[in-house]
Amino acid sequence: MPPRAPDPDDDGLAERLRQIVGDRRVLVRPGELRAYESDGLPGYQLRPSIAVFPGTRDETIAVVRLLAERGVPFVPRGAGTGLSGGALAEGVVLLGLHRLTRIITIDAENQRAVVEPGVVNATLTRLASAHGLHYAPDPSSQTACTIGGNVAENAGGPHCLKYGVTLDHIVALTVLLPNGAIVTLGNDDGEQEGYDLLGAFIGSEGCFGIALDVTVRLVRDPQAVRTLLADFPSVMAAASAVSAIIATGIVPAALEMMDNATIQAVEASIYAAGYPTDAAAILLIELDGAAAGIDDDVARVARLCDDAGARGVRTAADAAERARLWQGRKKAFGAMGRISPHLVVQDAVVPRTRLPAVLAEIQAIGERHHVNVCNVFHAGDGNLHPNIGYDSSDPVQAQRVHDAMSEIMAACIAAGGTITGEHGVGLDKLPYMDALFTAPTLHAMCALRDVFDPDHRANPGKVVPVHSCREWHSVRPPVAGRRP
Amino acid sequence: MAQRATAGRGPASVNPETTAQVVACVRDARAAGTPLRIVGAGGWLDAGAPCTAGEHLRLWGINGIVEYEPGDLTLTAQGGTRLIDIERATAEHGQWLTLDPVGYPYGTLGATVATGSYGPLASAFGTPRNQVLGCEVVTGIGDVVRAGGRVVKNVAGFDVTRLMVGAWGTLGVITEVTVRLRARPEVDQTVVVALGGTDGVERAHRWLRTTEFTPLAAELVSPALAERLGFATLNADLLLLRLGGNEALVRAARHAAAALGDLMVPDDGIWTALTSLGMTHSHKASLRLSGAPAGIAALWAATRRAIEPAGGLAHSTLARGVVRCLLPMDDDASVARLRGILSALPKATRIPERLPAELWAPAAADPVLASLRQGVRRAFDPDLLLNPGIMGTA
Ligand SMILES: Cc1cc2nc3c(=O)[nH]c(=O)nc-3n(C[C@H](O)[C@H](O)[C@H](O)COP(=O)(O)OP(=O)(O)OC[C@H]3O[C@@H](n4cnc5c(N)ncnc54)[C@H](O)[C@@H]3O)c2cc1C
Repeated sequence: MPPRAPDPDDDGLAERLRQIVGDRRVLVRPGELRAYESDGLPGYQLRPSIAVFPGTRDETIAVVRLLAERGVPFVPRGAGTGLSGGALAEGVVLLGLHRLTRIITIDAENQRAVVEPGVVNATLTRLASAHGLHYAPDPSSQTACTIGGNVAENAGGPHCLKYGVTLDHIVALTVLLPNGAIVTLGNDDGEQEGYDLLGAFIGSEGCFGIALDVTVRLVRDPQAVRTLLADFPSVMAAASAVSAIIATGIVPAALEMMDNATIQAVEASIYAAGYPTDAAAILLIELDGAAAGIDDDVARVARLCDDAGARGVRTAADAAERARLWQGRKKAFGAMGRISPHLVVQDAVVPRTRLPAVLAEIQAIGERHHVNVCNVFHAGDGNLHPNIGYDSSDPVQAQRVHDAMSEIMAACIAAGGTITGEHGVGLDKLPYMDALFTAPTLHAMCALRDVFDPDHRANPGKVVPVHSCREWHSVRPPVAGRRP
Repeated sequence: MAQRATAGRGPASVNPETTAQVVACVRDARAAGTPLRIVGAGGWLDAGAPCTAGEHLRLWGINGIVEYEPGDLTLTAQGGTRLIDIERATAEHGQWLTLDPVGYPYGTLGATVATGSYGPLASAFGTPRNQVLGCEVVTGIGDVVRAGGRVVKNVAGFDVTRLMVGAWGTLGVITEVTVRLRARPEVDQTVVVALGGTDGVERAHRWLRTTEFTPLAAELVSPALAERLGFATLNADLLLLRLGGNEALVRAARHAAAALGDLMVPDDGIWTALTSLGMTHSHKASLRLSGAPAGIAALWAATRRAIEPAGGLAHSTLARGVVRCLLPMDDDASVARLRGILSALPKATRIPERLPAELWAPAAADPVLASLRQGVRRAFDPDLLLNPGIMGTA
């Protein structure tokens, strides 16, 4: 059955939703819905018919069951900070989860917490810090983005180099399936049995259902932290320092690169961090762990930067300086966003040995299309974020940005990389899926979605191109009679 | 065409040498309605629930390193590649694949991923689910699916790779795998502590939870198992600690560990001895018990009480909250005795590895979960051709 777009007036859906969540929590007027037309990535605007904001778990379940009864498609949404055009769709019910902010337990003994999906990433870490613990995945948007959104995108962040991404930190999930059924994936109480459905759900971008309760692993705060700022005369020199550090076996907690355009933007903003504005590139390198031996590693990393041609390496003297250095990095997108009306933040990954070559290619692509690409990214993982500031209301500029981004994606794929390392496919990366995956692979993804959401009502039209799912249904052989 | 052989006894087998040949084998089997038993090195065929299959699909020929660029710290190898070959190739560059499952190093990469097997190094590095970056599989309809990729971070598309890890081959024949590698630590040193007293395990667990050091491995070994590792006379639980890092770090970690008791330095081969004990002939039955990490000391004590009177051995990856039991099974009387041991085991999540067919009771799953599992199986292997029954849910 194809999902049916809801009409708030005709079928009394809005009224039923109001009965569940209260009048103020249902929006239907176009003016009110405008705020939910897009996420953090400019260029995609799709207006839902209704937006509904349940305040409790039970209300959320009632809403999803009502939508299931009526065959109405919906899109889950956390904080809307996504950068792939994910939490938006035309004519659907937008299901906002940001009011589900209960921290159900913090279990210091087991180093875990159980939280509702609307809990903001940084809030969790703040509350866990009383126990000397923190939630390790730290997207730069952590002061706004939700744990539910993190699970749906399998979010990363600077410290995921050492500590792993969201997948590595989720113990179990209570999932509300699109048909209204509830199921626990993973196991709070030991190893997971059977297929890794927990792993399959993480990163499913709202297409497999709603993450209701999330059991996360908490990590102990390290005894010692050292933050280094290395200043390079060229991007290539910085990239070769990255390779050299990775090769030693020292695993920095974070290893981030920013190019000159990014440094300029940060230093001109209220987030100015004291970065050298004449550096072609800087590396922000953090080492953490036991105090013993850490300074030997610091010395070794500094030496490797020197060998790669660094003009200088300095270590943050105290926590305040460290925080300042990080603030510049974490607010870099915001700082760039000040300079131009819109900012496309891109996301791709290449094998780490290909970083210098791909960075050079990205620069050439930018020049060819007359756009300014600035890079700020998770260098230690090879996870690039080439960003372009522009004015999306100017069609000529928008086209140039689009063309440059397409070529950058093609270059990353050609280098053996992928089209997204942490922001997800959403709508933005759909056109590249065919270039990255074979048809049978895309069919397998469609088949997997069908298991969780056979009607494709949850976040319709995302992640896997619709045409490959159609093909899949037409080539899929009829299920033969099962052998006894 | 893949070579087909029918040995004097036992099932017929096919030995494909390319992915295309695996596809042909699966399509043939599908046309003929012959279920397939997927075989790696063949060292652990009695693991998993009883699996009935007409033909063995052997992956020996799908073997070799496909791509290894040391600077990327990733490696792609075919499914039948032995872990020891990966160890040799990577050691030349001071790197390693941090997976040391039971049977290490003679098992194959494909089987390690299929069974989700891990060993003591999981303490610091996690299990295959945390280390596999991508894979190629041939599904039960003969499609070649290439999931994930060769880079260390990747969220493009739904995560079919994660689904293949631990699926015991029931969703596809794993023909190629890309894994994350790590540079070997500058210093890699193992020390052993005998945990005396009634609260020895609790103390060790608390130490691990609070120390600023992260051992590469911290494995607890029961006295009976310790004896087989050459620690005959101690009659105490042993903690095997593998410490890695730079000189100063390892020195400080050793110093800190001394708070648990006198440190002994074991033979170099201790870890291989431990992982190959899983293959011992007298203790052919095995299973894992697990719970929330904080309860590990109680789980350990209760497990020892249940298995030791019958000659069982145990070890535990403390950080994961898992106890693995090796149980004697050497004659016909074993089944009855095993049944007795199983009923005495403490309540915990129970993951059987190797048990006689009679004792394989699939855990009752929640109906919604069961239908998701069945849906996944049908999506990838609609005719239930691949390793039918092996996950206990044929
Ligand atoms: C300045 C800035 C910096 C960023 N830095 C990073 C970074 O370093 N690393 C990184 O990984 N990302 C980063 N992001 C991207 C974004 O913050 C993450 O993708 C984040 O996980 C999205 O969370 P959210 O709550 O805003 O989700 P939303 O944008 O609201 O939704 C994202 C997707 O998740 C789905 N979803 C939301 N909640 C649920 C739920 N409970 N159950 C099921 N599906 C759900 C939605 O349908 C949608 O598909 C950044 C974004 C910005 C604006």
